[in-house]
Amino acid sequence: MPTPENVKTYIEQGLECTHIEVQGDGRHFEAVIVSPAFVGKGMLQQHQLVYKALGDRMHEEVHALSMKTFTPDEWAK
Amino acid sequence: MDQNALNNIRKTVTENPIVLYMKGTPQFPQCGFSGLAAQVLKACGVTDYVAVNVLADAEVYENLKYYANWPTFPQLYIKGELIGGSDIMKDLYEKGEMQKLVESAKA
Repeated sequence: MPTPENVKTYIEQGLECTHIEVQGDGRHFEAVIVSPAFVGKGMLQQHQLVYKALGDRMHEEVHALSMKTFTPDEWAK
Repeated sequence: MDQNALNNIRKTVTENPIVLYMKGTPQFPQCGFSGLAAQVLKACGVTDYVAVNVLADAEVYENLKYYANWPTFPQLYIKGELIGGSDIMKDLYEKGEMQKLVESAKA
């Protein structure tokens, strides 16, 4: 089972993050992700970017990921 | 990926104004996230929608993730558009936007 640290690395490898926090029990994870790639995108597209970064690991290793996504400007507030 | 299955999903989400793909049923959800999604719709006063139990439909279970590039359940579709999973539904509800979306589906 992946650790929260593994999941964090997976996301960072596929998505430029200025801040990321991941917590979880090996199956279900919660993440806070701040990325400049989110600028100008809706929440749906932001979450899709994170899923894209995880690729096949989503499903095979990660059962569920609950996330909050922010642009760097939103996060700074 | 099964093109036939994707066509069937397209048919379901375009022919019905509100479709929730979930694990279990609104009355007996089999996953906390699916239960939350059903609760959000209930809180918006939506009683008339199509709920598809993906645990009872292997074809949908295997193929839905490819339809809108969204790998998890639940998934809410309004007028054929993916709105999101339970995180997004909850967020939209708290902002008062989910209520507007479901209103738009009735029109």
